[in-house]
Formats: sequence, C-alpha cells, structure tokens
Amino acid sequence: MSQSLLRFALVGNPNCGKTALFNSLTGARAKVANYAGVTVEKRLGSLSGLGRPAELIDLPGTYSLYVASPDEQVARRVILGEMAGEAAPDVLVAVVDATNIKLGLRLVLELQALGLPMILALNLADAARSRGITIDTAMLSQQLGMPVVETVAVRKNGVADLQSAMAECAANAASRSGQLALPERAEAVEALYARIDQLLATSVSAPSQAPAWQDRLDALVMHPVLGLALLATILLLMFQAVFAWAAPVMDGIDAVMAWLGESAGALLPDGILHDFVVDGLIAGVGGVLVFLPQIIILFAFILALEDSGYLPRAAFLLDRLMRGVGLSGRSFIPMLSSFACAVPGIMSTRSIADPKERLVTILTAPLMTCSARLPVYAVVIGAFVPQQSVWGVFNLQGLTLFALYIAGIASAALVAWVMRRREAASQGFPLLLELPNYRWPNAYHFVLGLKERASIFLRRVGTIILALSIVLWFLATFPHAPADATLPAIEYSFAGMLGKLMQPLFAPLGFNWQMCIALIPAMAAREVAVSALATVYAVGGEAALGGALLRDWSLPVALAYLAWFVYAPQCLSTIAVVRRETNSLRATVIFTGYLFALAYFAALLVRQMAALWA
Amino acid sequence: MSHTATPLHLLPKGARATIVDIASHSHFGELDAQVTLRLKELGFLPGAVLQVIGFGLFGADPVAVRINGTKFGLRRSEAAKIITTVHPA
Repeated sequence: MSQSLLRFALVGNPNCGKTALFNSLTGARAKVANYAGVTVEKRLGSLSGLGRPAELIDLPGTYSLYVASPDEQVARRVILGEMAGEAAPDVLVAVVDATNIKLGLRLVLELQALGLPMILALNLADAARSRGITIDTAMLSQQLGMPVVETVAVRKNGVADLQSAMAECAANAASRSGQLALPERAEAVEALYARIDQLLATSVSAPSQAPAWQDRLDALVMHPVLGLALLATILLLMFQAVFAWAAPVMDGIDAVMAWLGESAGALLPDGILHDFVVDGLIAGVGGVLVFLPQIIILFAFILALEDSGYLPRAAFLLDRLMRGVGLSGRSFIPMLSSFACAVPGIMSTRSIADPKERLVTILTAPLMTCSARLPVYAVVIGAFVPQQSVWGVFNLQGLTLFALYIAGIASAALVAWVMRRREAASQGFPLLLELPNYRWPNAYHFVLGLKERASIFLRRVGTIILALSIVLWFLATFPHAPADATLPAIEYSFAGMLGKLMQPLFAPLGFNWQMCIALIPAMAAREVAVSALATVYAVGGEAALGGALLRDWSLPVALAYLAWFVYAPQCLSTIAVVRRETNSLRATVIFTGYLFALAYFAALLVRQMAALWA
Repeated sequence: MSHTATPLHLLPKGARATIVDIASHSHFGELDAQVTLRLKELGFLPGAVLQVIGFGLFGADPVAVRINGTKFGLRRSEAAKIITTVHPA
C-alpha cells in the first residue's frame, strides 16, 4: 500500500455540525487558507492515528450537488476535483444531523452516485437520543453499503468511532488524482425521498419533533415585534460590551507596552536605534495590539450567535425590511460578518443566489463598521467624548460608538436603495432559509474559533502592521531637522512633506497634515492610522496619544475624521476582494470612487454642522 | 372533511396541512423550475405534512414552517407555490 497522502473531505448540509466535527478530528492542527483562484476560505487539517499521512478538508455546507448557490458550487467543485491544482478527495465523510436525518440523507444518496468511498457520520447523536430518536446504525450501514457511525462532535470521545472507521478506510483506499464527472441526476427527487422513507422505516424510529423549549424560544425570537426588540438589544449589548468590558484588559496591555518602551529606552543609548525601537517598533505595534481585547469580544459575540442558530432567525425577521431597500434576509449574514471584517463578509455573499442583490451587498457591506476601524474610533472617542453615563445604564462613549455603527448601517441601506430603486426589488429569487435547531455554543469549538481569529489579528500585527510601522518611522525620521530648526523635527521629514502635500486637498475638512499622513498607511490596514498618529505625534500608549490629539484637534475636526473613517474604503484587501468577487473592474472603480466621495462629503458636512453647533 | 386546496401563504399560524402539489408561479419567471426543484429537494413534496409556525412583521412575510422536523423561512411568493390541504383543527 502506498503511503501517499490520503485526502478526506467533510460534506454535509449547512448547520449539521461539520465544523465542530472538523475541530474535534483535527484539533488545533487546523489551518485556514483560501482556495486557489477563488476567495472562499478552506479549512485544512492533518489527521493523525490513521496509519498513513492524511488530511481533512472542511467544505461549505450544501443541500445539493445539482441546484446550487455560489457557495454550494464551491463545495461541488471541490468534491468533483474541479478546483485548480486539486484532485477530487479520496474519501467523503458525509455528515448528517441525526435530528434532521431526512434532509441529510438526500445529499448522502446524491453523493453516493459519485462512486467515492464514503463514511456516514450521524452527528448530534446525543441530541437525537434525548429526543427519543433511535437509529439502527448497523441496519442503515447495511442498506446504504457504507460504514455508519454516531458522533457527538462537541464531546471529546464523541468521534472515536469515526476515527476508527476512517482508519479502516485509510487502510484500503488509494489516493487518486484527477476529476470526477457529475453523473446525470439518476432519479427524480420524489423517488429519492421514497427511497429515504424506506431506509428510515427500517432503521430509524423517531418522534421527529423538536423539544418544546425550542418552539417556545422561537415564539419569542421570531415574534414580529418582540423578536426585533430582542435583536436590537443583542446588537446594542454587543457594541456596549466591546467598549466597556475590554477597557481593563486594554489598560493592562497599554501599561505593559509603556513599561516595555521605558525599559527598552533605558537600556538603549540615546540615538537613532533608541528612537527606532521606542517610537517606531514599540509605539507602532503596541498601538494596534492594544485592541486585541475588543476584537476578541466582537468575535466572541459573532461566533456565539453563529453557533447558537440565531443568525438565520435574524435574517428571517429582517427579510421584509431589507427587501425594502432591494436586499433580502440573506444579505444579513454577510452584513453582520462585515462588522468583524468586510473580507469574509464579502466572501459570504456567495450564499446569495440573486446576482444583482449579491453585487449590491458586496458594494455596501464595507459600510458596516469593521474591527479595523475600532482602534481609530476608540482612540478618537476616548480622547474627545467624555466618560459619562447616560440614563444610568449606557455610557456616552459606548453610545457614540453605537451611533457610528448606525451611521454605517443607515448609509448602506440608503446606498442599496439608490442602487436598486429602478428595478423591482429582489424579485424572482427565493429566500428558502433553513432555521436550524438552537444549540448551546460549545466551549471547545468556541475557544478554537476565537483563537483562530486572534491569531489572524496577531499575524497582521506581526507582519503588515510591523512593516508599516517601520516604514512610517523611517518617513517620520528622515531627513533629520536642520540644526537651527525652530519647528518640531517631523515637519522636516518625508512624512511631514507628504502630509503637507496632501493637506490642501483635505483643508475643507479641517484635517491637519498629521491626520493626512495617517491616511496613507491606513490604506493597507485602517488600524495603522492609530500607530501612524502615535508616530507623527511621537507618543506611546493610547492614553498619551489621546492627550496629544485633544491638544491638537478641535472637536468638529475629530468628528469629521470619524465620519471619514465611516465611509472611506481605506482597505486595499477589501478593494482586492471586491475586484475578485465581482470580477469587474468597473464595479471596483465605482465601489472605490463612491465611498471616497461619500467619505469626503460626510466629513465636510459633519465638520460644518459640528462647528455651527459648538 | 374538506379537501379544498389552499396555497401555503394563506394558511393561518399554527395550521397543519398536507402538501398536494408544487405549482408553477409566474413570479419566478424562467427560474420557476429551479425554485420548484429546490423546494422539493428541501422536502416540500406532495404528501409531506407541514405546520405554519410564524410570520414576519410586515405583511405576514416571510412565513416560517416546519416540515420533516426542520424549520424553514419562505417568502409569500415561494409559499404560494406550495398547494396544501388543511388538516381539521
């Protein structure tokens, strides 16, 4: 038997617990990557204990190989080996939610026609048992002609049987190369379901009713009025938490960074190296690192909402409302993901079947306030908005942040409406949204997800942000000020010159040249604006930076700067992903142009209004 | 026992009904066959029993139903394709 790499793929309906199964099988060895040529995240992990090298691929959830939305097409293309440079997988591990077995088995029967070795994992076996569903796995296995194992992905020992089935498969299966052809649909859907009913009749006994608490919860969550109130409360709580709960940890990181700067400063002799390490490296990287707690809290909310099964309900509630501006409930999930980062948000628009709605969602999703804007907002709000409580519960800083989020959402709605007002809103494409069972988010799975997100952020800090901090420090340091300089040294540097070159363009907005210079590196990553400001003002630590801004900026200008960041497409990765996902230069130019125009106009308006009011 | 065929979107909340047909609907234009197929793939087949569990805020749209133990959200236009006979309460 050859010892070549054996490739397993996890296939199943959306929400059947595939990702939890993936995490349990691969542990922390998983890595996130993109498919070559298309921007859909693929999660890959190595499998051990199978007696030969093997890896596992996690695929987007899919209902069918035949009728497909764009994300289901990705799953199909991977299964068939149509992805550039990748053969079809060697073994399919079909995952079926044991509490929702009928829908899952339909896909299994479709997959079986491909002729690949298969293993069937009946996931959520514990939930099925507690509902009184009993499954005769031996019988099912015999009838289907494939190994069938029960799994409980969220439990440590819940995948042992699956692992041994996979090991057995690994001993016999050969690794393959090349593509598979999708066979003609062998039988009508009706016949397929008739076969499933026969299978179920002999091997499953089920009072297939969800527990009553699920229905009671749905009565509240999906209530037309109470449900929307609950949604608003959850979102408000999320934004409040990002600000209030993160503060102590952020202060801690800030203090560590300040201490690090001082210690390094004391060790190094005065001179260029001293300045580079203290003002360039530590101030630059520390300025962004301090936002890790806020980003973790934001992702914690998003992951928990994703895991619990709540998000599709929110999409259900908002569908009619979003149709009013030419979108649909399906746009809600990409929009919500964009609060973390527009790049995965834009990628997740692949679940939108209507190409026009998908385009409008792509063009407006980056108006959702992403986590990279958070550092900029946090510093400016922290410096200019007083820390006082409103109605006893909220604090003014949290509310200001909430207002910025709302500004982004309202603008997205307006832009979508303008883009789609000439056509009948989103007609002709079905919603067909599965509302999965509620589940408690699982701690292991949750922590792993957070770790993944945190490490992506830290990698950014360690690479692009570090590099930009160094470049910025260089620009802000050279050339040195002349000996008889009367102005601060930075005014003589490249950064000073560049900022002054840009400043006339931004003069109507009230931006000074320091603010202008920070906009340039912010194109690579918005949060670098913060470290850029720290570098040009030559201060370290969030508190010190806040103080410097408060001395140098007026309130209207600070607010105008915030308004600029609400709209400006200050993110090359987003522009690149728009280009890739729309496959249209024209759409990308429109995207970049309209957002910069909006940013300029909004900043101008905010400054004028704030100046009048003040 | 009445056997009047009623499209799903006209059923009241809580109603249980048996699907008798997935009809074509001009709303979806040339995509209609695709929508029919997807509905069938998700289990909306003649003979299947469903229950209406709720509605959205505006114009009772979308509508949430349970079928084969799974819940789905459907728009009125999709629901209009699903012809049912209501079970007596």
